[in-house]
Amino acid sequence: MILELLTVTKTFALGAERVVALKDLDLSLCEGDFTAVIGSNGAGKTTLLNVIAGTCRPDRGQVKLAGQDVTRWPAHRRAHLIGRVFQDPLQGTAAQMTVAENLALAAKKGGRGLVPLLTARRRCALAETLASLEMDLEKRLAERVAHLSGGERQALAVLMAILTRPKLLLLDEHTAALDPANAEKVLAITERLVAENRLTTIMVTHRMDQALALGNRLIMMHKGQIILDLGAQEKRGLRVEDLVGLFREVGVCDDALFLAQR
Amino acid sequence: MLFVHAAEQGLIYGLMALGVYLAFRVLAFPDLSVDGTFPLGAAVAGMLVLRGFSPYWALVGALGAGLVAGAFTGVLATRLRIPGLLAGVLTMIMLYSLNLRIMGRPNLSLLGRPSALLALARSLGIPRTYETLGAAGVFCVAWALLVLLFLHTELGGTMRAVGQNPQLVRSLGVNPDHLLVLGLAFSNGLVAFSGALAAQYSGFADVGMGVGTIIAGLASVIIGEMLLRPRSLVWAVAGVLVGSVGYRWAISVALRYGAVLGFTPSDLRLVTALVVLGALAAPALRAALKGESA
Repeated sequence: MILELLTVTKTFALGAERVVALKDLDLSLCEGDFTAVIGSNGAGKTTLLNVIAGTCRPDRGQVKLAGQDVTRWPAHRRAHLIGRVFQDPLQGTAAQMTVAENLALAAKKGGRGLVPLLTARRRCALAETLASLEMDLEKRLAERVAHLSGGERQALAVLMAILTRPKLLLLDEHTAALDPANAEKVLAITERLVAENRLTTIMVTHRMDQALALGNRLIMMHKGQIILDLGAQEKRGLRVEDLVGLFREVGVCDDALFLAQR
Repeated sequence: MLFVHAAEQGLIYGLMALGVYLAFRVLAFPDLSVDGTFPLGAAVAGMLVLRGFSPYWALVGALGAGLVAGAFTGVLATRLRIPGLLAGVLTMIMLYSLNLRIMGRPNLSLLGRPSALLALARSLGIPRTYETLGAAGVFCVAWALLVLLFLHTELGGTMRAVGQNPQLVRSLGVNPDHLLVLGLAFSNGLVAFSGALAAQYSGFADVGMGVGTIIAGLASVIIGEMLLRPRSLVWAVAGVLVGSVGYRWAISVALRYGAVLGFTPSDLRLVTALVVLGALAAPALRAALKGESA
């Protein structure tokens, strides 16, 4: 098991009300698993990723990562085990730094040495890595990331997240803010890089077609719990309509679900 | 001569502006402790010189005191979660009392005491008319190079990312709080060093000499950005020094000829604040004008 969550509970105070974001949630991932997570708004998908990444500490329960109990580790301490890409392309990069500098930071995982961040040799290596994206970004190494388009920026963010081959990759609706063409492109890049590096991945998405097309496991969340967990076998041949049917069966029925069909 | 004097001041205060640039632009932290660390540097250096230490050691002592004070603000803002502006103001207020304690009185006269600027100029053989300017230039170039080299290291690069995207830094496995403390220490070390040079240059250290330092520093940073429109770090750092000299020139011209318009030296801070206000408000004003014309 690369990741284990044991009876994880997290509640938030929303005014006087208490909202349960995760409720006694158990989840374990095997090495190399690509898990898609779907669910309606407020199902706890992002909280799940936050608890794993360490940006939010659970009220109860345990988080184990690569055999270690990381429940009490702050986010920056888990970072060498985890790569994460956010929905907003702005969150994954430093806008006023160049493409090369951003990549170099990611390659060194925030190096703290007093050695040059960029050397000629490293620049070459980074250009080569960038060329694999086939977005011509290797010709724009010296450009500030702020000048890149949303799609380019997000592709860069994906590359930065996996550059050090983390034990676990977290994708938080990372194509949702992009236009359809760029979303496809970034998704294709993600799929290829994940396969090439055999990364264990959790991808939160609100698109059921995406969840069905990608990965070997599909998890459906509702009100802080996992209500459906399909393996590769059960997933195969499933259509979006079937998924909606399954959703209904377990008693989920909201407008977001229908919007999510697309 | 007017311009030479203004340029001397511009370079000496330019180091302070460089510190302000590090805090405000690189770390995106509005650090007001500067108003306290500038006289702190002057006080520490002044006392060291009066105790018979070499003026160079006085600069080192001031630098060290500034590092500690800056780190203190950083700890207030991170560990104790005090809002950044307030953390700076708290340090500034504490330093006012501390500076009085260090000096033992509100001001020190350093007239006739050795100055690092003159000592350096003599050992480099700089002609007499330009000895202060030359020595201040040497200090500025040395510090600017050091800052630039640092910002291009791994640690410096990660520090730049702190000001732009702390979340990214966290996901890179580094605690941005640590880098903020380090950066503020560095920034205030520079400011105190500048204060020490200013004290040796003007021949006195005064507990009130820090008032408005932050505004002068910001004005220099902004003027530099307007003049050079920097696209790289090298130009940004150069711009800070150019902006500082430009700022002192503007002030000296205003003081020399301002009397015609009815300005007195006591209006200096008002004028400075208005310059900064104008520069800060420019984007909003421009947008408002465009909005109306469209």
